[in-house]
Amino acid sequence: MDLKNRIKEYRQKIGFTQEELAAKTGVSRQTIISIERYRYKPSLELAMKISEKLKTKIEILFYFENIN
Amino acid sequence: MNLSKKELSVLIEIIYSILFALLFLPYFYENRFTSFDFIDNIFLWLVWGKIGQMIIFSAIYYSIGYTLLHIFNKEKIIKDERDDMISSRSYKLGFLLYELSLFVFIGVLLSNSSFQNSGFIIFFILLLLLSVIFIKSSYQLYLYRKS
Repeated sequence: MDLKNRIKEYRQKIGFTQEELAAKTGVSRQTIISIERYRYKPSLELAMKISEKLKTKIEILFYFENIN
Repeated sequence: MNLSKKELSVLIEIIYSILFALLFLPYFYENRFTSFDFIDNIFLWLVWGKIGQMIIFSAIYYSIGYTLLHIFNKEKIIKDERDDMISSRSYKLGFLLYELSLFVFIGVLLSNSSFQNSGFIIFFILLLLLSVIFIKSSYQLYLYRKS
């Protein structure tokens, strides 16, 4: 199972840049880039902060792909 | 290749280990069979002189390196959970390598007692330490680029 996310899609929908989202969630822009590219899996705390800032439910923002 | 400030600071460490090896290792390699058995041995004083040079080189290198980094890169460093993850992974590797080095070091010392009082031991210690720093920092940079 691969953990994927729709952060880029929802971030662009709400009109945030990566820099702005990073500032709002207290992380670096590189961290947001890594999460959007599925290179880094955020902690639950960061995932909840991101979903809160993007005004989206966490289960919509993050999902599993290839569930057996 | 666009590097962030954190990646550049790791790169400064990698360059440091390479420069340090190029500047100081040849001297100890050339004197690997020179003994420093006696307290008035001239080689012993030369070694202290070299250690002084190493300390001065390190202080100057890092001062200049980080000053230039802060001057030319105004990006504010934000430390977050990804940095912690990268640090913990790279330092774990560094710790394992230090442990392995210690075993190798003891093994080499026990294998030949003449190494204990010669320039070889300093060369060997420096080689191990620099290798660990180089591998750890390179892995840290790799994680910053790939994770």
